[in-house]
Amino acid sequence: MIKVDRLTFSYSKNPFIQDMSFSVSEGEIFGFLGPSGAGKSTLQKILLGMLPNYQGSAVVNGTECKKHSSDFYESIGVDFEFSTMYEKLTARENLRFFSSLYHRQTQSIDELLQMVGLQNDAQKRVSEYSKGMKSRLNFVKALLHDPKLLFLDEPTSGLDPTNSRLMKDMILAEKSRGKTILLTTHNMQDATEICDRVAFIVGGQIFAMDSPHNLIMSRGAASVTYTWFDNGEQTASCLLEQISEDQQLQRLIRENRLQSIHSSEPTLNDIFMEITGRTLV
Amino acid sequence: MKTIRLSFLHMLKFVRQDKMLFAAMIAPLLAGIAIHFAVPVAEKELIRMTGMPAVLSPYYSLFDVFFASITPVMFCFIAAMVVLEEHDDHIDRYLFVTGLGRNGYFISHIVLPAIFAFLITVVLLPVFGLTSMSVAEILFLSLAGSLQGIIIALLIVTLSSNKLEGMAVTKLSSLMMLGAFVPYFVPVSLNLCASFLPSFWMGKAILDKEPVSMLLSVLASMGWIFIMKKKYDRKI
Ligand SMILES: Nc1ncnc2c1ncn2[C@@H]1O[C@H](COP(=O)(O)OP(=O)(O)OP(=O)(O)O)[C@@H](O)[C@H]1O
Ligand SMILES: [Mg+2]
Repeated sequence: MIKVDRLTFSYSKNPFIQDMSFSVSEGEIFGFLGPSGAGKSTLQKILLGMLPNYQGSAVVNGTECKKHSSDFYESIGVDFEFSTMYEKLTARENLRFFSSLYHRQTQSIDELLQMVGLQNDAQKRVSEYSKGMKSRLNFVKALLHDPKLLFLDEPTSGLDPTNSRLMKDMILAEKSRGKTILLTTHNMQDATEICDRVAFIVGGQIFAMDSPHNLIMSRGAASVTYTWFDNGEQTASCLLEQISEDQQLQRLIRENRLQSIHSSEPTLNDIFMEITGRTLV
Repeated sequence: MKTIRLSFLHMLKFVRQDKMLFAAMIAPLLAGIAIHFAVPVAEKELIRMTGMPAVLSPYYSLFDVFFASITPVMFCFIAAMVVLEEHDDHIDRYLFVTGLGRNGYFISHIVLPAIFAFLITVVLLPVFGLTSMSVAEILFLSLAGSLQGIIIALLIVTLSSNKLEGMAVTKLSSLMMLGAFVPYFVPVSLNLCASFLPSFWMGKAILDKEPVSMLLSVLASMGWIFIMKKKYDRKI
């Protein structure tokens, strides 16, 4: 679906994205993960054919991005990191106008509004929408022409937990309908939850690329932390794989003196820091 | 084609809701009526007051050059305002990734308004013009005026970051039109100073009845459009 080979790009004379290669297969949710300024949106723009001055190759849906024609976008849906609606028009007017710009059969606007719970606000101007409503509306705008490929730039950022949950469920629902989805985020939790594979990006470079599960497993060693009472509360920890060698823990278990015990697996966040030396925010 | 048409119609709908832009759309008609009826009356008064045989009438063709510029300038100003507003709302970027695309956006938002301005000028100029012009002159003035409109639209879009600044830049870039004064009022030896302005060649072509100036006017416009389109592409 997407094949990037030795991609090099920069806005200025200084090198930015260099020799990047990766591919995304059909039906996959692929996530770009990285801190602000890493180049996530830039990469999406290149793949959308909006920045044609790159070297190397970036093929989307069988088309080299910089050479795309206008039907390139008939099979691509985009949700940018900011709202792209006519603020003065109502939600329905917006969707009606944008859907008129596609040649292929478009989905029913009422059904889409229903799907994101906006059916009762369809006649409201977008300027009167809350942030969560706007992001739901922008999301269904990307689905108007039922594209095979979805580009979502930070679909969950700035949303409250309820809206964020809703958004993630909708993304998963689109995947189950066979769409290929490319998203960016700096939220590790979300990436772990919905992405089949992620790429860690910092400063225009890919540092690691795999499924969240494999990334966590390959690096992380889970540890066990326990507490007991001995002249005040005491805490100690050991690696899960070396638990049989911890004499103190054995003794505490035999004497029934443990107050608490829990294991903790490393999060994608820890792995990200370990691999790239950077935090995500 | 369908997407360009729809995007253009959508822009018209947008303009109808904005009082200022809507007023700008009918301004050419008002200006035409004013020029056609008020200027000859004013001329009669001036002759009576000053006792000179002619005050304004030697410059009637200059009025026509200006009138040919008004419709395109107004239309392209409106277009530039819509582009600026859509840029603020990030809608331009979204339209680039639909069937409309970057080129479709440019055609529907800048080129089509200029083409309509051309057609309207071709009709209005013979009706409201003060001098009798040949068909070639009418076509030339309408074309040159519309090209100038495109230049002004591109100037407004590239030089201003919002609608408010756009208004200021519009006033500034309408100075482009002043080149037409030069052949009428400035000594020939200094004329070339204004030769980079298409409007200078417009004035000269009409005053001296020179086909070469017509060509130079179009060439100068093309040069401006070429440079400004590059700047436009970098911004939008
Ligand atoms: N149009 C532009 N012109 C010049 N430089 C740009 C442009 N857009 C982005 N950049 C620069 O490119 C770098 C990457 O920006 P990009 O928007 O791709 O980051 P990002 O990973 O999406 O960050 P965020 O998480 O904040 O959205 C930044 O240093 C930014 O300043
Ligand atoms: Mg970004």
